[in-house]
Amino acid sequence: MSDRKTMIRFFTIADYEEEERWLREQHKKGLKLVKIIIPCFYIFERCAPEDVVYRLDYQNDKEGGDYFQIFKDYGWEYFTRCNGWLYFRKAASEAESEVDSEIFSDNSSRIDMINHVFKTRMIPLIVIFLCILLPNFYDSIAEYERTSKTVTIVLGVLFVLYSCLMAYCGIKLRILRRKYEKGE
Amino acid sequence: MDSRIKRIYVPMTESGFYILFCLQQPQHGYGIGQQVRQMTGSDLIIGAGTMYGTLSKMENDGLIAFVKEEEKRKLYQITELGKKILNLEIQRIERLYKNSKGETVK
Repeated sequence: MSDRKTMIRFFTIADYEEEERWLREQHKKGLKLVKIIIPCFYIFERCAPEDVVYRLDYQNDKEGGDYFQIFKDYGWEYFTRCNGWLYFRKAASEAESEVDSEIFSDNSSRIDMINHVFKTRMIPLIVIFLCILLPNFYDSIAEYERTSKTVTIVLGVLFVLYSCLMAYCGIKLRILRRKYEKGE
Repeated sequence: MDSRIKRIYVPMTESGFYILFCLQQPQHGYGIGQQVRQMTGSDLIIGAGTMYGTLSKMENDGLIAFVKEEEKRKLYQITELGKKILNLEIQRIERLYKNSKGETVK
């Protein structure tokens, strides 16, 4: 299996632009993404180094009808999906213009995608946090005499990690949305 | 007309306008893209994601309807509601144009 390489990298739902750039860099070094295993394993195949543009679209597994056909007609190769995200690529040399190397040609559709991510990913995260993690953590503190220390510590760590992740994603998605609203 | 639909689509994005305009004839996503590129002298290029997103949004809102499938491609056409919205947009653009030339709309 020398032609395969696995890399560990963690991107949140708000880091898709960084992920696109990182995948492009890897392809320039001769590593072509094959698939992703949740949460953070990127499986690459060795290939000839090439400048290939990577683009991610979020459809939350609800893409319908001729979705793939439209992308194919536009010269995009669909090659994998992960967690509601779809992965496309196109050789930079095949893109006739700047817009040709983008899947979104206006900011209003970029904002639509961000709103879709927000509604279907951020809101469930917040609900899980408020309905499960927060009450459990609170109970384990309130009844600390009857709860084992390990449980409290594990819940505490989860609580902190989860809060950081939520704050990071929430703020970053808002920044992205504002950037596109301003038309940058 | 539903005021929500009017609020969303008037005014509409440039891509939205061209897509709706082209769908006065049955057409599929990529076909619309090509037609727009040709009509505008490549000034407006609609990306694949923007095309798919706009088509599915307009279909959900009843501005366009699915006609038939040809070689895995879905063909759409404008509906009565879509025509009303398109006419409102055309009137608005005509007013913009006249005003930009210094003319007053009577």
